[in-house]
Amino acid sequence: MVRVETPAAALRGADRFRVAQAATLELRGVAKNFGGLRAVDGVSLTIEADEVLGIAGPNGAGKTTLFDVVTGLTKASEGDVVLDGSSIAGDSVHRRCQRGMARTFQQPTVAASLTVYENVALGCSFGQPRRHWAGVDDLKEFAEFVLELTGLADKAELVAGPLTVFDKKRLMLASAIATGPRVLLLDEPFGGLNPDEIDETLRLIRRVREFGVAIVCIEHVMRALVQLATRVAVMHHGAVFFEGAPQEMMQDERVISVYLGRSAAKPPARGGDGGAA
Amino acid sequence: MRRRRSLVPAAPGRIGAGAVLVLLVALAPLVYTDQYYLGIVVTTLILITLNSSWNFLLGMVGVWNFGQLAVYAAGGYAAGLIMIHSGVPGGVALLGGGLAAALLSIALAFPTLRLFGIYTSLLTFSFAQVIQFVIINDNTGITGGPFGLPEVRGLFGSLSPLDSMRAYYWTALAVAVATLVLTALTIRSSLGLALRALRDSLPYGAARGVSPLRYRVIAFALSGFVAGVAGGLYTSFNTSIGPGVMGLTPMSIYVTMIVIGGMGTLTGPVWGTALVVAIQQALINHPGIQLTVLGAILLVIVVFVPRGLVGEVATLARRLRAWIAEGDGDEEAEEPELVADRPAEVRTVPIEPARSPEAR
Amino acid sequence: MTDLVAILISTIVLGSIYGLVAIGMTLIYGILRVLDMSQGSMVMAGGFVGWGLLVSAGTSPLLALAAAFAIAFLLGVATQLVSVQPLLGRSGIDFEMITFITTFAVAMVIQNVALEIFGPRQRDVPPVIGGTVDVYRGVNISYQSILMAAVSIGLMLMLGIFLTRSRYGMAIRAVAQDISAARLMGVPIRWMFPLVMGLASALAGVAGVFLGAQLFASPNAGDLPLLEALIVVIFGGLGSLPGTIYAAYAIGLIQSTVSVLIATTWSLPILYAVILVVLVLRPHGLAGRPSEARL
Repeated sequence: MVRVETPAAALRGADRFRVAQAATLELRGVAKNFGGLRAVDGVSLTIEADEVLGIAGPNGAGKTTLFDVVTGLTKASEGDVVLDGSSIAGDSVHRRCQRGMARTFQQPTVAASLTVYENVALGCSFGQPRRHWAGVDDLKEFAEFVLELTGLADKAELVAGPLTVFDKKRLMLASAIATGPRVLLLDEPFGGLNPDEIDETLRLIRRVREFGVAIVCIEHVMRALVQLATRVAVMHHGAVFFEGAPQEMMQDERVISVYLGRSAAKPPARGGDGGAA
Repeated sequence: MRRRRSLVPAAPGRIGAGAVLVLLVALAPLVYTDQYYLGIVVTTLILITLNSSWNFLLGMVGVWNFGQLAVYAAGGYAAGLIMIHSGVPGGVALLGGGLAAALLSIALAFPTLRLFGIYTSLLTFSFAQVIQFVIINDNTGITGGPFGLPEVRGLFGSLSPLDSMRAYYWTALAVAVATLVLTALTIRSSLGLALRALRDSLPYGAARGVSPLRYRVIAFALSGFVAGVAGGLYTSFNTSIGPGVMGLTPMSIYVTMIVIGGMGTLTGPVWGTALVVAIQQALINHPGIQLTVLGAILLVIVVFVPRGLVGEVATLARRLRAWIAEGDGDEEAEEPELVADRPAEVRTVPIEPARSPEAR
Repeated sequence: MTDLVAILISTIVLGSIYGLVAIGMTLIYGILRVLDMSQGSMVMAGGFVGWGLLVSAGTSPLLALAAAFAIAFLLGVATQLVSVQPLLGRSGIDFEMITFITTFAVAMVIQNVALEIFGPRQRDVPPVIGGTVDVYRGVNISYQSILMAAVSIGLMLMLGIFLTRSRYGMAIRAVAQDISAARLMGVPIRWMFPLVMGLASALAGVAGVFLGAQLFASPNAGDLPLLEALIVVIFGGLGSLPGTIYAAYAIGLIQSTVSVLIATTWSLPILYAVILVVLVLRPHGLAGRPSEARL
């Protein structure tokens, strides 16, 4: 099995990953209409570097559509997305990625016919500006660091298609990290995982955060969200109706009635899903 | 353990076997001089080149392009016209055909890549129809309309018939082998990485920084160039080209070749083309039965062996190796095989990963 | 003015016959998500049935139409059973593309069986009824054309009534809208699919008798109608029945205009050029829903 040969290589990779210039992501009145349906209704949020913004809300609240609009997969009907003071609303998906924005998907989505290593190499060679045709050796150092970070180093040679859900989700995160993001958008990173896997993913996301990456995270698993987020926004009918610290959210009357339900007002038990379904 | 498999050359054993096979095929015309059958081999080699270029788009890039024959014909006509109207060497004319075809392929790529699914095939198919109709109805005298180009001087006009045949044979073999080698290298390069990621999931690839338009247009250009060179070879070898190289019947035969061999595999088009040509030769006096048999084979292969022969053999071989290694056969293939020989099967490019307006 | 009347009449006749072939394709696509490339060979089969019964057996035209309907129905059911049914619900394949290829393969088989039996020779099929009527200062229209338009429109109306009024028709529409809901409602899904494809093929078979009289019966007589029907269904937005009917007449109008004012040989290339433009501007056809995927 392939291992990282020297700790020094991994360290050099880590140096490369450390975010040199912290990013600020701003959403200004972002809205998305699907025909008559207003899926996202004027969302304004600011995400600073070194922050984990949790986004919660019932199904159909517009959370994933918001991500799609921010990453460029769907075009915003109104509003602006601003990264470091300049608008990226006109940029394509891949351009936004190269400007430092990476995302994961709700479904475990990877390039199924590529190996784990190739998936990561893909992010390395295309996700970072001006590195498209970089040499294989140049990529390897960073790719191996990412594989080591995400705990996939000993699976590097496997084809991604038949991997387990947990491995696919880690790989999806790994290839996102490989693009060297400054803002990382995670769509339900804990969904479908067992408690141990949730803990491991939590550790991983915390480590990523230490490198100075701003993180936005949609999540239904309240335990994880409360542990991870520094700030939480709760959405309903496409709009953000609560913004504040996780502890405040657990006490907020509106959040409880719309989303959490009465029983969850108490601190959730281990692995509890917060009553959100 | 071997290093990063996909970024190093394929297994030496396979390369060796391939080299020996190519050498045997290359030496054959020195001892075997029946010009009829040598001619069939030349045609087969030209078709292998065409089908490889087509298979690259269908199976490896994952774009359901049914306009490849128009691109092939464009290369053939361009090369033919260059040979008729100028005195440049034949090789230059072939390159000119390749370039013309690449340009047409790029022109086709832009509208095609806006579409998804069945509409892709409909647009490309319509495109090929328009090109064919335009050529058939062309009465300016440039293309010769339904009768095709008049006598084109070939590549090797000064040689004796047998030597000329041998020269075509080696040229077509060299082009086919070069195409396969280039395909294998491309699929392992970072361009290949990008194309395969986009094929597996377009939103995923784009979200990892791959421009879906740029790299797939490049793929169209490469594929078009190869198809155009194949078309130029066809024109030189037959000293003529007509609108009959396009249309439903040739398209159905070539699709059959690709699907039988294994769409998305490197060597699938080679074996598929050879097999179908053999069947056609066996039934040469019964054109009706010939196509009936091919249609039936196509149906059976698609329904029962969707990976094609090469894909199926690769799967069996992998199971066998796993069985020998593990002592029992249920260990499903942890050994990743040669990347380009991993069949694409025929999968949907999921445009939206369940991305209906927040239906979750 | 003469031109105008000629164009108008030709539009109605062409549009009706295109509608008859294309409505089957759109029905199949709407319900099965199969773009049935074997519809052309059904037209061809209908042509040969017409030739066989009208010329060789000398039977009445009505019987020929009924026989074409029945034979094409059976062929359509058989086609569905070999080329679509085995692939239903199979995972890991692109169903639309695979069935595009399998129905194409069936078309290859049917067409070449016909070639082997009848040979490549084109055969004259007599008009179902003879005679022409002068409509307007030298613009003739044959009774055959009138009958063709009438039967086509009649069959399309009957199909519409069948789909909206009868139990089976409603079951078919339920399947088209939501397959799992229809299954829950007790619709026998597996029976529906061959029925739909048989019905659509039967319409193409009837069209084949008329088209055979218009042109010839020959093994590749189905190619042109198939290409024209493809244009119609793309234009109308795949799977939309009203869209298909509008598109059939729109295409008929374009083709008649080009034939009358320019030349018949250019009508098909111009149609395809129109289609290229339509697909580029409206990637889901004229009546289809707009795409959201922008990458």
